Amino acid sequence: MPQFFLNKRLIILLVSIIILVALIGFSLRERSKLTWPEQFVKDTTGWVQSLVSKPANSLAGFFENLQDLQNTYKENKELKTRVEKIASLEAEIQALKKDNEDLRDINGESKTLRDMDPSPATVIGRTPDRWHEMLIIDKGSLKGIKKNMAVVTANGLIGKVKSVNQFSSTVQLLSAMDPKNRISALIQSDTNVFGFVQGYDDKQKVLLVKGIPSGAKVEKGQTVITSGLGGVFPQGLLIGKVVDVKPDQYGLNQTALVKPGADFYDIENVLVIKRLMTQPETSDMSDGKEEDL
Amino acid sequence: MRKFLLPLLFLALFISESLFVQFMPEKVFGQSKILVPHFLYAGLLFFTIYVGKNKGIIYSAIFGLLFDIVYVEVLGIYLFLFPFIAYLVTKVMQVMQSNLIVSSIVSLAGVALLEIGVYEMNFLIHVTDLEFMDFINLRFYPTLILNAIFILLTGFLFKRYFEKVSEAMNDD
Repeated sequence: MPQFFLNKRLIILLVSIIILVALIGFSLRERSKLTWPEQFVKDTTGWVQSLVSKPANSLAGFFENLQDLQNTYKENKELKTRVEKIASLEAEIQALKKDNEDLRDINGESKTLRDMDPSPATVIGRTPDRWHEMLIIDKGSLKGIKKNMAVVTANGLIGKVKSVNQFSSTVQLLSAMDPKNRISALIQSDTNVFGFVQGYDDKQKVLLVKGIPSGAKVEKGQTVITSGLGGVFPQGLLIGKVVDVKPDQYGLNQTALVKPGADFYDIENVLVIKRLMTQPETSDMSDGKEEDL
Repeated sequence: MRKFLLPLLFLALFISESLFVQFMPEKVFGQSKILVPHFLYAGLLFFTIYVGKNKGIIYSAIFGLLFDIVYVEVLGIYLFLFPFIAYLVTKVMQVMQSNLIVSSIVSLAGVALLEIGVYEMNFLIHVTDLEFMDFINLRFYPTLILNAIFILLTGFLFKRYFEKVSEAMNDD
């Protein structure tokens, strides 16, 4: 290939590599917001996508219904046995709720970390190259969606809002590898154990909850929820169930392998959760010396 | 009207990739492999082979940029790789006959090159920490099979349509 190294082509290649590195560097920076051309393009394609994906959603729903029909009898039997339990559970919950409210009134604390305001959204797209694991939803900043809000399905937490445009926004799933993606988690047992959701194992399909103190007792089958202490998410969103615990590299901490409650595939409708408790300012959380969190 | 048909076709392929991934279940045939559709790029490579180098590279760059902005949010990866591999493909096609079988195999090779290139770039910028062998087993083979099936189904349609487009362009 002697002509490949002709001057003109070599220069074009070098220039494009420089542009490539500059662009990647630009977009990997911590960006609070996308530039307006990007937002414009994303909104435009988002509009086209929602045109296509809504009929597609209903078509897929139809086939799913057909499949469901096959198991109806068996499911019905099972559900009937559960309904009776639910009635008594509901009564209990009502009583507990009322108790809780009364006690809060006495204490004078009306706001909790659990307070949240969900708003529904429909998924209109998903990153086809499955490295980045992102969803595109059909609600944007005009509907009050902001960066870093939690996103859940009926079965549990799936991710957070990564970027917001006017009419659409992008959701980063928990299964994406991103060192900035740390979620403060709480493992429910007799005493609450805290850790961070940090990373995802592609092969075993489990989330890694790291930073659990080595003395803490964590067992298989315990439920993991968000703790609300990270300052962005509310408390009490289901993350998943512990399947295994192992000591980390140096034996100082433990890492819990958590099977996510939500399915990261085949997602149609999501809820974007707004936390009602005030968010602490970054300056309140650090004393100014340790900026690199 | 005919002028708009070509961008519309690519736009349809562009959106079909996202739809495909959205509705795909976690396990396909009982195995949790990762299948990545590259329908758009297969189409673009056929376009490059049958219509011409310059138009192919320009279209690849435009749709690469669109792909970066809309799906990936890291600008540059596809913007660079789409035209670069399209260029390599034209170089290869200079010494080969452009019949259906050869162009199918070449565009499948182009898709394979794209997948490896994207993996290497993502590994560099720490989007993934998958080992190379895991990448081959978990993603590469299944992806190639999926795209081979796609090319098998649509290759002759692409060929017929792009040859028509090429004639129309030469007539102008």
